[in-house]
Amino acid sequence: MLADITLGQYYPGTSFVHKLDPRTKILATMSFIIAVFLAVSATSYAVLVAFVLSVIFLARLPVLLVVKSIKPLWIIIVLTMGIHLLTGQGEVIWSWKFISVTKEGLSMGVMMSLRLVLLLMISSILTFTTSPIVLTDGIEYLLKPFKRVGVPAHELAMMMTIALRFIPTLLEETDRIMKAQMARGAEFKGGNIIARAKGMLPILIPLFISAFRRADELAVAMESRCYHGGEGRTSMHELVYRHRDLLAALAMVVLIVIIGVLKWSNGLCVI
Amino acid sequence: MQPIIKVKNLTHIYTDGQNNKIKALDDINLAIMPGEFVAIIGTNGSGKSTLARHFNALLQPTEGKCFVNGLDISVDENIWHVRQNIGMVFQNPDNQIVASIVEEDVAFGPENIGIPHAEIRPRVEAALASVNMTEYAKHAPHLLSGGQKQRIAIAGVLALLPQCIVFDEPTAMLDPRGRKDIVKIVQNLNKEKHITIVYITHKMEEAILADRVIAMEKGKIVMEGTPAEVFGQVKKIHELGLEAPLSAEVAEALRQAGYELSRDIITDEELATALCQ
Repeated sequence: MLADITLGQYYPGTSFVHKLDPRTKILATMSFIIAVFLAVSATSYAVLVAFVLSVIFLARLPVLLVVKSIKPLWIIIVLTMGIHLLTGQGEVIWSWKFISVTKEGLSMGVMMSLRLVLLLMISSILTFTTSPIVLTDGIEYLLKPFKRVGVPAHELAMMMTIALRFIPTLLEETDRIMKAQMARGAEFKGGNIIARAKGMLPILIPLFISAFRRADELAVAMESRCYHGGEGRTSMHELVYRHRDLLAALAMVVLIVIIGVLKWSNGLCVI
Repeated sequence: MQPIIKVKNLTHIYTDGQNNKIKALDDINLAIMPGEFVAIIGTNGSGKSTLARHFNALLQPTEGKCFVNGLDISVDENIWHVRQNIGMVFQNPDNQIVASIVEEDVAFGPENIGIPHAEIRPRVEAALASVNMTEYAKHAPHLLSGGQKQRIAIAGVLALLPQCIVFDEPTAMLDPRGRKDIVKIVQNLNKEKHITIVYITHKMEEAILADRVIAMEKGKIVMEGTPAEVFGQVKKIHELGLEAPLSAEVAEALRQAGYELSRDIITDEELATALCQ
């Protein structure tokens, strides 16, 4: 039942985007997010959409796959759209009884929901083109400078690694426990929310006990293999910036400049 | 020659959930020489795992001393030397694999002790080759069989280039095929790479492969000797709550029935030869 899950959403490939250093990709994603919040005019949104589309093309990802990534948040996107449509002030373009839609409300609604869509798409592109392990490496490197202010960079990365390792194992275990409880006559389907939540207890309790036991054994096994935190630790994969990373960085700078120019010059025009 | 592991008057007392003091090990003396293959047998709770965990400094003695290469394991500065030289493979293969890709997991040990980046990959490749898992280097561990996972766990220990590996019931959770693979790898490591092996097991068929068998009961060493010496005493083995290998059991039954058979018979071949005479 739970066996056919895939870990993360990595879409393996050898494209330019796939080969970029994870640090470049994380930083590029962050600068894109800044660009999205700087964008104010229809033109700048057009630039951003064009940028996302060209990244999808460069990464050779199926467009549909990236579009699907907005699915989990579609309700919020529709709500954002709706609220802006109904509460906008200004020139009324359509009305029915007490409901009226204004031109400003419409453009605000479209922009706000487009913002969400762009944010979702760009972060999905990051996870589609970067394997979780490489991503973890990248995050660890990027967080290193913040160690001095108390950010546990290595510990966070190790937690992510272990979580990635044990998610499939624990899912398998959940499946096994569910079957065992079903064999004893437990009922998981049907009934109201409270009944169903109660039905989950016989799964969760054994699962938690076993997870703690696993954690204990894993800790001992890690210690016996000389694990003693991030101090003096080396890595099999060394992250190296290459020419393509410079290229990607340049592209990001150009994007930010375009968006910035559009924002400020727009302001000037209004004045 | 200096023993690789030396245990002197070791006693280990721990407190259980009800605040009772329990003596898991009681005045143990033991020396394991380089290159030896030692099997430790005993029922559950006889203290064999507790003893093994001292070899790797995972546990510290309550009384007495434990030395690895002459270094006291209770001295903090020695712990990393001890853990690097005495590897440990546990029973549950799932709970000792850290990373979600096989080669990453094998690299975990060398990364921990700060091996330079360029030397890690050769080590990982050599370790995977010695357990015949080279082709699985990029696989996800949760998709492998129990036996394969256990081989990865062994590779993870081998990448640290240990002098000795302690196996704590490595085959208890495996199917017969996985068990056979592991036993074969353990023998190879001992014979070809001259790695000292300490092998804790419930399976007497595995224990007879060792150079020396140690039987434990209630925290004490009660029998010690070559497999033939130990398993020849079938009655005493039964008193410990254990079973001798099948051939030794059959030979004992035949002796009881009045046939004259040597007490050295512990393998099927030896039994067959004796019966044909």
